[in-house]
Amino acid sequence: MKSNTLNQCTIGFSEDDIIEAMRDISGYLDITPSDFKEIYQIASRHALERLKNSVKAEHVMTTPVITVEEKTSILDAAKLMAENNISGIPVLDSKQYVCGVISEKDFLKKIIRKDGKINSSFMSLIAQCLEVSGCLTSDIRLLSVNDIMSSPPVTVQKSISIMDVSAIFELHKINRVPVLDSNSKLIGIIARSDLVHALC
Amino acid sequence: MIEFFKKMRGGKESPPAVNLSEILWSWLGAFLGITAVAYLHYKLLSEQHIVLIIGSFGASAVLIYGAVRSPLAQPRNFVGGHLISAFIGVASYKLFPDAVWLASSFGVATAIAAMHATKTLHPPGGATALIAVIGGEEIHKLGFYYALVPVGAGALIMLLVALIVNNIAKSRRYPEFWF
Repeated sequence: MKSNTLNQCTIGFSEDDIIEAMRDISGYLDITPSDFKEIYQIASRHALERLKNSVKAEHVMTTPVITVEEKTSILDAAKLMAENNISGIPVLDSKQYVCGVISEKDFLKKIIRKDGKINSSFMSLIAQCLEVSGCLTSDIRLLSVNDIMSSPPVTVQKSISIMDVSAIFELHKINRVPVLDSNSKLIGIIARSDLVHALC
Repeated sequence: MIEFFKKMRGGKESPPAVNLSEILWSWLGAFLGITAVAYLHYKLLSEQHIVLIIGSFGASAVLIYGAVRSPLAQPRNFVGGHLISAFIGVASYKLFPDAVWLASSFGVATAIAAMHATKTLHPPGGATALIAVIGGEEIHKLGFYYALVPVGAGALIMLLVALIVNNIAKSRRYPEFWF
């Protein structure tokens, strides 16, 4: 689905654009505009294929990864995320395997609103805090990470292509995914922004 | 069947025209290049039939002075195409000396195939092969030397002019590649 949108981008120029470009280049070009267009389209398809297959998760992931243990209190987890300015981190079990991911969304969901609804965004939480005298967070202070984390986690293998990674982001509606080696050990993490950097 | 006729409609855009300086450089290159070979041919190889090969070089001039960037105009294609086609034209006549019509078609067709196969496609090569067959007694007498003089020598002179003229022009560069 990603590749389709990119292909549409490349089709987006007209033969007039090509003729204009041919005028800009001095000298007689022994090619028709439609031939050039065809070459360009096929070349961009090849480039996309190359990108799809040659750039792997391990090439764009961030490493080392900041992690938390599943028994960590969510206060400590929140502090850790705040200190490092990150919105989500993988959770490791006692054997150092990834057993979940904890993100801002997981915190938001646990902070129950007065009216019983679930906070769907950071702004709905702010609105709540401004409306009443203080935020109703005291009831979650005693929880630990494994009480609120998303589990089982969505993970990817290091050899997966970045096109597949972007498909996984779309499919699971997530913003970051832990990267595992062939022994299922955590070796990195990819955020959506890493994919943007990889493509430009 | 309808598809077959639809293809004849064309319907796609034609490339833009070149600017005036391009036209002038093409004129100058062709003038100097053909002057060089024509002068030498008429002074040194005055036999009427050998001079026929100028026709083939006239076609080459369109490419190497008029369409400098074209793959068909690069030295590999220009020199290689003429040499290979000349050789094949001579061989074709030797193969069918009593059927000039067959030697003609076989020579040109084989020259095109050989130029394709060797990545030396150069349209005037077809004329070079044809002239080897229809050029008459004087050209037949040259045998395979036809490929060296007048064809090979003439091509080298035209190439030299192309290298000089096309690189004096600021907007031009020649060749794109050698081999």
